[in-house]
Amino acid sequence: MSVFWIALFATLAGTVIASLLACLPGLHIYNVMGALVLAIIALADTQWAIAPEIYLPMMAAMIVGWSMVNTIPAVLLGTPDESAMFTVLPGQKYLMDGRGFEGTMITAVGGLAGAFFLILVVAPFAPRYLPVSQEVLKGHMHWVLWIIITFMLMSEWPKGGNRGPAGWAKFYDAWKTLLAGLATFFLAGLLGFIILTRSPVSHEVAFQNIMPAFVGLFAIPWCLLNIISAADMPKQTVTKSLAVNGDIILRSVWSGSLGGGLAAYFPIVTGGVGGMLAGHATAQRDERIFIMGQGVSKFIYFVGSFILMFVPGLHLTRGGGAWMAKTLYTPSGISDYYLILGSIAVASAVAYLLMEPLTKLTLKFISRYNYRHVSSVALAIIILMVWGITGWIGVFIMAVGTGIGLLPVLFGSRRLNCLGILLFPIACNMSGFGETITGWLGLT
Amino acid sequence: MKGFSHFMSGVAVASFGPWAIEAAQQGNPIFFILGGACGILPDTIDFKFYRFFYEHDVYITPDPLNPDPQYVANEFARAVALAVDEKRYVRVKLVSVRLGADFWQQYSVKIDNEKLEVQVKFGPVVNTGQVPVKGTEDRYPTVATAKLKAKVIQTYDAALKVDIFDGPTIGFKPMDNGDLDLEFLPWHREWSHSLTVGAILGVLLGAVAWWASGWTMAWQVFVTIAACYGVHVVEDQLGHMGSNIFYPLTKNRTPGLHWMHSGDGLPNFLAVWISCLFIFWNLYRGVPKPTYHFSFIHLMMVGLVIPGLIFWGLRKLLTLGQNVQMKKGDDADDEWNESKAAG
Repeated sequence: MSVFWIALFATLAGTVIASLLACLPGLHIYNVMGALVLAIIALADTQWAIAPEIYLPMMAAMIVGWSMVNTIPAVLLGTPDESAMFTVLPGQKYLMDGRGFEGTMITAVGGLAGAFFLILVVAPFAPRYLPVSQEVLKGHMHWVLWIIITFMLMSEWPKGGNRGPAGWAKFYDAWKTLLAGLATFFLAGLLGFIILTRSPVSHEVAFQNIMPAFVGLFAIPWCLLNIISAADMPKQTVTKSLAVNGDIILRSVWSGSLGGGLAAYFPIVTGGVGGMLAGHATAQRDERIFIMGQGVSKFIYFVGSFILMFVPGLHLTRGGGAWMAKTLYTPSGISDYYLILGSIAVASAVAYLLMEPLTKLTLKFISRYNYRHVSSVALAIIILMVWGITGWIGVFIMAVGTGIGLLPVLFGSRRLNCLGILLFPIACNMSGFGETITGWLGLT
Repeated sequence: MKGFSHFMSGVAVASFGPWAIEAAQQGNPIFFILGGACGILPDTIDFKFYRFFYEHDVYITPDPLNPDPQYVANEFARAVALAVDEKRYVRVKLVSVRLGADFWQQYSVKIDNEKLEVQVKFGPVVNTGQVPVKGTEDRYPTVATAKLKAKVIQTYDAALKVDIFDGPTIGFKPMDNGDLDLEFLPWHREWSHSLTVGAILGVLLGAVAWWASGWTMAWQVFVTIAACYGVHVVEDQLGHMGSNIFYPLTKNRTPGLHWMHSGDGLPNFLAVWISCLFIFWNLYRGVPKPTYHFSFIHLMMVGLVIPGLIFWGLRKLLTLGQNVQMKKGDDADDEWNESKAAG
């Protein structure tokens, strides 16, 4: 069989597997890819060794399928990962308005638009311009992280202090949410220092060491909130038209590619942060542009960061997928770049076509069962998954993460502050004083 | 302008200091953090500190259990009468009506100067995302009115709509002709939005820097803070509301140039993007032995002009024959309502 057909089948298989797995709440594709990498390494010197022409397109397709289809559990089951945080709030509005299908499909159109933008606009220019920007920016990543942290913490709106006479009581009431936000950020940062310096998770699953904390910080609080406060799910309607046009798609690509591009290019800046910054930068008022833009952003964040590794002359490793692929293979030229771009194009089309049936299937599922029960099942799957991959110690880390992740829920502060788990320790490390802090904490 | 535009402008201004690039190359991010923080600081002072200590003469607090538009109209008229009778500045707080963890009763206040009356109507219940809850739109059809003792002139068309989180403050300022000038959010862009305050802050933190690291650090900190704080004031002057530029030497806001509204998408994006390009250029100038060489014009063409023209052309093509109506914003309303909605 020729390499073309091998790569094509690997791409199709990767897309279908990832799209189906993406419907499971709480399961990140990087967890599955981690297991895949372990299997590839184990088979490396045997007669069953898997060739790069199989696993590279498959990995690219898995990232594409997941980044597109993962909108379904994020919006319909209320179990977002960090990168979907911004999509979920307006997405759930659509769900509670009986328009869950529409919200999910608009995000998917965003994903497809992101694929077009990435392949037709970014990819041809990337080998020429990205090495230039890398040369200029390479010594400055640390302060970019610091200014992102500064903006995140300074831009939160005080939710209280709305009533009563002027004075300290009013000020304190307002600042309760902001203080909770700061506490969330720094507690998550502390947890990050511990996990990144002395992870209690077994070294055999070391690449999953941050996963239980992320699940605890982001997915579990959503599930708990859904279980406690779930309103009755209104009857969902499946529309024939999404009421979007070329102009809306163009403006979504504009805002979403900015957010996703930032997140893909700068280390530790995640899709959620990129989405927040792009939302502030482009100041779009149309809700459809916002939702679609988040679809673009999420796609470019996950897929774009993977592509960076293959850009000739750049070889920048960003994102979990690229780091895992790098343990197996070092890209060597333009042919690898084209292989990955081709796989992404095919996978994007297939994943988009799978979106509609999978969304309808999920809607059928949640209409048949009580939403509270659906959330309970989602919660059980998530906990079992964490336990299965990282054992009881992972469950413990997840519980700690949940405690911190519940702070924003209880005080009404920004959930994005939970990203302190990565931003704070990594920014400290990149600026060169991370070790001083871990020394104070008795970790080194 | 929006917070992020101010923030990025601050970072861009900071990047013009060669000391900022030098420090960053040695792992010290302080000047860039100062730049961004001072760029957004005037709004932070207003929205997160000052407004909670701002005294009001009249608090209009509707009862959540029995929302009565007539009460709001009467209290509003009373505040106007107070300003007219006592010939003084009167500050009024329109308090929001919270109905539950995520629900707020919206109401609006409209001034009709021809009939010399205020009209108040309770609208739908909205959630914290400002989305109306279905079935609540027409619960309170009554429009309550009350006669006003003087005309109330609005210099910018901020809608007096009250819904999520905090309600707005308005000030009635007696004018020579007997009318009242309505100031929306009088505590905003007052003393905090002033070049003098930026300079004073620079001197104070510069003194701390002098004590900690000596004279060189002191003036670098002063220049960074004063310039980055100042760029916020300058940018706000491009809008309608203006700022109190030289407080305490000036007492009132100087009206803006009316070139844009603070929430408009394009000017905000351009501010952010051009700031990024300036930062990139300044960082490039700091690269010791660059492999790639390009001019400022080249950077602007590749980074701004060509993609901008392509985007503009595509939009033209995609909206051919359509009547595209952009929702116009309003300085004060944008900063107030959209900041709240952004969380």
